[in-house]
Amino acid sequence: MPFEPAIMANDESKTEMKMLPEPAEAEIARENAAAMASAVGVGRAGSHVLGQPGAARIVPSAPPPTPAVERAAPAHAPMRQLQDLPRDELDHLAAEYGLDPAEHATRQALVAALHGRRQLIASMDRLAMLDVVKWARRPVPVNASKEQLAIEIVRIKTMRFDRLSQAGLFALARLRSLSVGGDETVPELVKMLRKQEGFFKRINRKRRAWIGSVVSGMLGEEERPGEYTFLPGQDAPAEETAPRSASIKEEIEEQGLFGGLASRVKKTADQYLNQKLDEIEARIDRKLDEIDRRLAEWRDKEVANRLRILKITLWASVIVAIVGLIYSYLKINRLF
Amino acid sequence: MDHFDLFRFFRFWLGWVVAVYASIVTAQSLWQTWQSLTGRDRYMTMLRQYLLVHGLRLRFRAFWGDVLICVLLGVAFVLLVHAQTMMDRIEEAMPAQSVPQ
Repeated sequence: MPFEPAIMANDESKTEMKMLPEPAEAEIARENAAAMASAVGVGRAGSHVLGQPGAARIVPSAPPPTPAVERAAPAHAPMRQLQDLPRDELDHLAAEYGLDPAEHATRQALVAALHGRRQLIASMDRLAMLDVVKWARRPVPVNASKEQLAIEIVRIKTMRFDRLSQAGLFALARLRSLSVGGDETVPELVKMLRKQEGFFKRINRKRRAWIGSVVSGMLGEEERPGEYTFLPGQDAPAEETAPRSASIKEEIEEQGLFGGLASRVKKTADQYLNQKLDEIEARIDRKLDEIDRRLAEWRDKEVANRLRILKITLWASVIVAIVGLIYSYLKINRLF
Repeated sequence: MDHFDLFRFFRFWLGWVVAVYASIVTAQSLWQTWQSLTGRDRYMTMLRQYLLVHGLRLRFRAFWGDVLICVLLGVAFVLLVHAQTMMDRIEEAMPAQSVPQ
């Protein structure tokens, strides 16, 4: 089986997402999020008592448990799992979901933000998310869940929005934490996304794009992107449907000079490894066939040998029996 | 010592020794094979299935000549044993008839 790092990465993200509540619990979790908001208030009030007096004006005192909290009790198990995670894992999860952990000072706030983000992802249009993934040529299987798609979309850093549909732009804007209503036009959404980027980030991106074009010109890369194809499922051969990677220029623009070059070197190394692993697999298959053929030959020889031994034994027994019979005949007829 | 027959003595003990030796060796071989193939680990299960597949792939036509000879030799041996039994009965009856002479 060929080596596929992208699938492995997806598997890892799947493992991590198991800790979050299931989408089917959306209704209960919505109530839970409301309860969580009040819990965050409690947390902030608690932190004020411990050492942040400035926060006292936000929440004057801890409210008593409301009926909503009591109703949400069955959904507390996954929430408790999320709350039990260490802070660094919560930060990692938040970064995967496109949240900035630094914006959420307390654990409760981060957990609530994660729940909110998950509710947002559950409410998003899957087709729009697939549009974004196709547009950005991200390696995902066609049956990827919304969470997987969202994680991939969050990793998209490009600001070239050509050929992206309005629904895709809307999904991208929501995952980039923009407040959009859904009735914006494409130019409006592009303008909002570019405005969110900021001046210095745009300058840096332009600089990286220029370096990328220089490097691309030096390397002579003229490859044009083909039709996007999804990653294969579990049974399909990987090499038939692997998506084409972005150009070196785009990679440098998104990740910087060293990041783009390192990414390209890694991809080339992956391709080389895949090719070598295929060759090794073919050699192993040939060896296994050879072993099977030799075993069959050995089995036939062994059976033939056993049969020959049995035949010799039977011949010896028959000869001894004939000799015994002749001997008895001679003795009865008193010939000796 | 009038009834002592060296040939019959040799045949009797040769038959016993060979039969006991062959029985012990066969039983030992079967027991060892059974012990080695009854493991519950993954590789032994795979080996069992592999041996089963090899057994099913065995072609009878490649050995049918030898098998036929073995069957015929077995039938001949049974007939010869039967003839020997009859000959022994005749031999036992013969001295009784020859005594009055």
